[in-house]
Amino acid sequence: MDHEQAQSNFSDYVDGSLSERVRADVDAHLAACIQCRTELTGFRETVGSLGRLKQMKQMAPPSFLGDIKQQIYKRSHGRFFRPRWKLFGRIPFEWVSLGTIIAMLVYYIAVLHGSPSGVHPAGP
Amino acid sequence: MRWRGGPLTDPPAAAAPARSQTSSKRLARARALGQRVPYTMSVEERLLLDRLIERDEQAFSEIVRLYGDKVFSLIYRMLGNRQEAEDVAQDVFITVFKTIESFRGEAKFSTWLLRIAANHAKNRIKHLARRPTEGADPDDVSQLRTLPDRPSPPVQARIETPDAMLEAAQTERLMQEAIANLPEDQRLLVVLRDVEEMSYQEIEEITGLPEGTIKSRLHRARMAIKEWLDRHTR
Repeated sequence: MDHEQAQSNFSDYVDGSLSERVRADVDAHLAACIQCRTELTGFRETVGSLGRLKQMKQMAPPSFLGDIKQQIYKRSHGRFFRPRWKLFGRIPFEWVSLGTIIAMLVYYIAVLHGSPSGVHPAGP
Repeated sequence: MRWRGGPLTDPPAAAAPARSQTSSKRLARARALGQRVPYTMSVEERLLLDRLIERDEQAFSEIVRLYGDKVFSLIYRMLGNRQEAEDVAQDVFITVFKTIESFRGEAKFSTWLLRIAANHAKNRIKHLARRPTEGADPDDVSQLRTLPDRPSPPVQARIETPDAMLEAAQTERLMQEAIANLPEDQRLLVVLRDVEEMSYQEIEEITGLPEGTIKSRLHRARMAIKEWLDRHTR
């Protein structure tokens, strides 16, 4: 096995996916060739450095989900993911509306029954 | 911005038909023989995807929460630019929302998703290669050598001392720059195999390439990165 053949097997050698026979040939060449041993060390360092990138996690920004929903809302001309308006950024406007209607009803009933004149709508 | 790639359709009347049950004995035998077995989706995953087909907003949010960082990370490693990566990753999830009916459940959902992400990233690389440079982008790794005082992109790493932190940040920049010098198909393979540490089978499913081709391109990519590092650091 020459330098070129040995080095063409470095990837599989480092991954541990060479057959036993080829691995033995590469090992035999490495034992006799300092140039290829140096190359292999550099190759291993490169693969190791690439692997360390995984530890440095790149996270999507916090606004990621909101931005996507906004894009879908815009591109679908408002058919999907309509933004929900919220009071103080917490309470959905639908709840505020419902609460207001209930409060008005309660007030109306209270006023009707608590009328000082005692006048009630005429019965049949 | 216009809605490209066809209109968004209303939810279909019924979700995709349930796939037939595969004999567990046959699956076990195939596994024992080292053969590839068809992927069986979990009930939770199926329910989540059914809700997504119905255009359920919460299901979509769940999908983005589950896979957002993974997709963003893959694209960032391929492009080396946070702003571009964010833009492309958004497009990926919009594509998922538009085309979820075409997912047949023959592979893992994550595989399908990463395939879309890889294709979008490759297209963006081609697009950026055609586009003339418009000023220095502080996040673009190709600009690193001309911008010595730029702030480094936020990274979350288990690093203890400031020296180690600095060294890790420099290594990251350097590796990112080396990856950015590869052709797009080689970038993808390096990121999937060496950064994301995926198996060759997963890479085959994502790229659609045979294992032999993946291995030979990956070897060329690793050698190219090593040579680049030799030229620029050693």
